[in-house]
Amino acid sequence: MSILNTGTKIGVLVIIFLVLALLGYALFGDRETVKTSPLVGKDAPEFTLKLFDGKRVSLSELKGKTVLLNFWASWCMPCRQEAPALEQSWLKYKDKNVVFIGINVWDETRSASSYIEKFGGGYPQGIDPEEEIQVDYGIGGVPETYFIGPSGIITDKYDGPLTEEIIDYYVNRAAGQERDASSTN
Amino acid sequence: MPTIKNRKIAAAILTLLFLIFHQGISAAESLDDRVNEIAHLLMCPVCQGQSVAESNSNLAQDMRQIIRKQLEEGKSKEEVITYFVNRYGETILASPPPKGVNWLLWVLPGLAIIFGGLGIGIYLYKSQSGKGSGDSGKRPENRAADSDYMLKIDEELKRHES
Repeated sequence: MSILNTGTKIGVLVIIFLVLALLGYALFGDRETVKTSPLVGKDAPEFTLKLFDGKRVSLSELKGKTVLLNFWASWCMPCRQEAPALEQSWLKYKDKNVVFIGINVWDETRSASSYIEKFGGGYPQGIDPEEEIQVDYGIGGVPETYFIGPSGIITDKYDGPLTEEIIDYYVNRAAGQERDASSTN
Repeated sequence: MPTIKNRKIAAAILTLLFLIFHQGISAAESLDDRVNEIAHLLMCPVCQGQSVAESNSNLAQDMRQIIRKQLEEGKSKEEVITYFVNRYGETILASPPPKGVNWLLWVLPGLAIIFGGLGIGIYLYKSQSGKGSGDSGKRPENRAADSDYMLKIDEELKRHES
């Protein structure tokens, strides 16, 4: 003996079907939005950094090189954790057309300078005097790292502390960007 | 001794100064309001449920500064919002647009109201029509059992009264 009559059964089935159809569309209908950052695949926003050694560097000057852009702060513990890996990788890549740049954000200049002395970082490190670069790059915390290919397109963004293996993987992907582009075009 | 003409000139200068000063304040307030309006439409990416207008985090302060700068440069509200969406994604919007998973948020409450209303309507209709027809929907054997039961109750009541 059934508790529900036929009309009610059909109604329940229709509702279940509609809910499943909506869930299916929501989960699989717009897969393009699954990205670590909306900037990936686009031109890296231009910036000019004031380096701690007094010099200045602009992204446009680095065209033709693979760029690792690391956002950090002296009070950030995971930044200290990744510092040795960054230093080692920089030594490995510095003569291979790869540039490492450290961008200090939400920090005090004195604390940042002593951090660099303590944790190394022979590569250029600086701050944005306008304090806009962190928003221009959609930074939500530190450490966060962008990998930019030789043509100036962002290939990846990595949130969290880096290791040498992670750096190798993403630097090679960024360096291979132009090779991929020329092979597909 | 001040003449009437001099007084008129002084009054005109004072009025002019007041208007200039007042205009300046109004313009500043208007920019603040516009910054605040846009900041309320954006969620602070590093905060728990706070908008850029409500948060005091470093990032929210930077974002408010950028909103102000872009408005001063003559950018529209939509252009400023697009700038942030292009960098942080649509999750930065306080009211996500009806697209992808967000679509469910907009559609499900409406569907719940429609189907819930239909369900309640059907239930009420059935219970009303059930009352009108009395016990006509029952099977004959059930009706006979009911009447036997009622007879027994009547007998018990009579016995109790006597």
